[in-house]
Amino acid sequence: MELFIARLFDGLSNGATYGLIALALVIIYKATTLINFAQGEMAMFGAFVVLVLATERGLPIWVAVFVGMLLSAVAGAIIERTLIRPFDPSDHLPLVIITLGLFLAIGSLAGIIWRFDPRQFPRMFPSGNALTFGLATLSWYTICVVLTVVVVVGLLTLLLNKTKIGLAFRAVSSNLESSELSGIRVGPTLQFGWALAAAVGTLGASIYVADPVHQLEPTVMARVLIFAATAAAIGGLDSLGGAIIGGMIIGMVQSILVQYVPFIPNEMSLATAVVVLVLVLLYRPSGLFGTPPVERV
Amino acid sequence: MARFNLVEGTSRYRAYKWGAWSLWIVALLLFAFAVADTAQLTFFDNSYNIGLPRINKSISFMIAILGLQVIVGYTGQLALGQSFFFGTGAYVAAYLVQDQHWPWLATLLVVIPVCFGIGALFGIPALRIKGLYLALVTLGLAAVFPAVVQLDVLDEYTGGAAGKSVDSDLIAPSWLPLDGIANFLQSIPFFGQYFGDGDLTSKEANRIWQYMLFVTLAFVCFWLLGNLVKSRPGRAIRAIRDNETSAAVSGIQLARYKTISFGISSAIGGVGGIVYVAALGFASPGDFTQLLAILFIVGLVVGGVGTLPGAVIGGLAITFIAEWSSSTAEFPGVPERWLQGPTGTLIMGVLLIILTFFLPGGIVSGARRLKAKVVRVVPIPPKGFTPADSAAVQAPTLATVGDNDLESQN
Repeated sequence: MELFIARLFDGLSNGATYGLIALALVIIYKATTLINFAQGEMAMFGAFVVLVLATERGLPIWVAVFVGMLLSAVAGAIIERTLIRPFDPSDHLPLVIITLGLFLAIGSLAGIIWRFDPRQFPRMFPSGNALTFGLATLSWYTICVVLTVVVVVGLLTLLLNKTKIGLAFRAVSSNLESSELSGIRVGPTLQFGWALAAAVGTLGASIYVADPVHQLEPTVMARVLIFAATAAAIGGLDSLGGAIIGGMIIGMVQSILVQYVPFIPNEMSLATAVVVLVLVLLYRPSGLFGTPPVERV
Repeated sequence: MARFNLVEGTSRYRAYKWGAWSLWIVALLLFAFAVADTAQLTFFDNSYNIGLPRINKSISFMIAILGLQVIVGYTGQLALGQSFFFGTGAYVAAYLVQDQHWPWLATLLVVIPVCFGIGALFGIPALRIKGLYLALVTLGLAAVFPAVVQLDVLDEYTGGAAGKSVDSDLIAPSWLPLDGIANFLQSIPFFGQYFGDGDLTSKEANRIWQYMLFVTLAFVCFWLLGNLVKSRPGRAIRAIRDNETSAAVSGIQLARYKTISFGISSAIGGVGGIVYVAALGFASPGDFTQLLAILFIVGLVVGGVGTLPGAVIGGLAITFIAEWSSSTAEFPGVPERWLQGPTGTLIMGVLLIILTFFLPGGIVSGARRLKAKVVRVVPIPPKGFTPADSAAVQAPTLATVGDNDLESQN
């Protein structure tokens, strides 16, 4: 039982960060019905910017995270305007190719600028353990990560439900053409979605590498993206809350399955995520909380 | 208007076709002898290798991209995990040749059915998983492959993290007068200097033999797929690409054709894997990552999605962009730091974005547009076609029944 609780606690922090990256994927999906394959790399780049701001410019870490999120938001908005908007959103192939191009370009750009040696990320949260049940320890890191995620989801909900731009965003994601007809400026609204997603992604990556067991390197997000995308698909690609819950599920499954199912070695946790993804898509294509698509012929 | 108009079926058209093909074959052969040694180009103090080992590697990529053309280019399914099947083919071939002492060509008999089977198996969920979701799942599949071959249970077959090397080499048969050809080429005045000097070493002879085998294999794949896309199943899969619903309404069995095209694409990917391991003599988990899967997409897009010759250009592009950018030590106007990291990947990423904007049909479509200015192939009118029926619509009819050469001309 203690071991079980210990694994649950382990899964919690991973799950929360997967949830944040999944949230970024979902925001972009809601805006442009596109899975942004470059989301992980964008987030990684953002985390590097935060690292540079904190260590080389000497900003306090949370100020650096905030500035990093702002810069990412601007970059996200620019990417949407220059690379995404010129294409027809219903034709997937060019957009997938663009995001794969971004994946390659951003990943290698980070490799050129910061090299591939792993770096220690500054501490964002108090260290040490808050609670101990025998073997199971709940670290302050885990508690703070979960709190951060709760705050982010709360702020996002407020932003989307109580502000004008949030209202416009919800309108555009529910029906692009009608909202355009009712006078909403669709372009800037989608741009806002991309900016939001980039900022959330940067926060997610920063939190992920702030874990004492992780380090920041240009390849850090490649695996995380698959987990996060699986999380987003479990939650239903267009549900914000679903993304967080999906992230938690994936985090838990990953940490519990590896412990209790002996024939799944640790390296196969990625394979487990892919299998879960396939099963969800086969039996519940709209995820747990997503809206089932309606196709008119 | 094109300078030469050739009507299909006439003797002039046949002469053009045969002439072009023979020129290609002679060029490929001459090329083999010219670069059998480690040929190098020197440019701004950097030397770039174009030797046969690299060409052989790029042929393996060409075949893999060819497989991708079937599923992405012609069936329109976003299945991006070709490196999985490429790796499977490579490992199965390495195991059979190294541990079971099979001849290389015999591995085709196992790799093709195995990869076809796995591909078709993955094609079954893909009947329900569509579009972006399929892209996601298949990229995940590609990411999983290195972990799969390093599983403990497979360790004795795959060599685990250390990879598997294959000692057996493809040895040039003694009846083939490679030395004679080399000597003959060297004796040609003026041009002889480009073909090295003296007899070929056994290593060079083997390389030329491998190259000839791989080119032949690639030709066979191209020929078979060329026929496939022109035949009834080919029209069916293109109909699926253009509109799934309307294809189903016109009586095309979606499940059957999609599964088959998944299988074919994966089988061809496996053949590419055989060529890869036969050319390099080595397969390691780090070779078949998600990055390779994405590089195949780069090759697909650079060459041109939905064009078979695009696979050739794509294979060359992804091999040589990576190779040459890593051997570039200095370049005027570019800081050294930018040349030491993953510059090739950066170039390919940027290329992917630029091509999607400015040349969505890839290099092949650009080349076809140029070619259409010089040579125009006019197809034979279908039977029962009389000019009187269609005098009014003749121009558009010509354009729509023609191949791409004609379309891009209008």
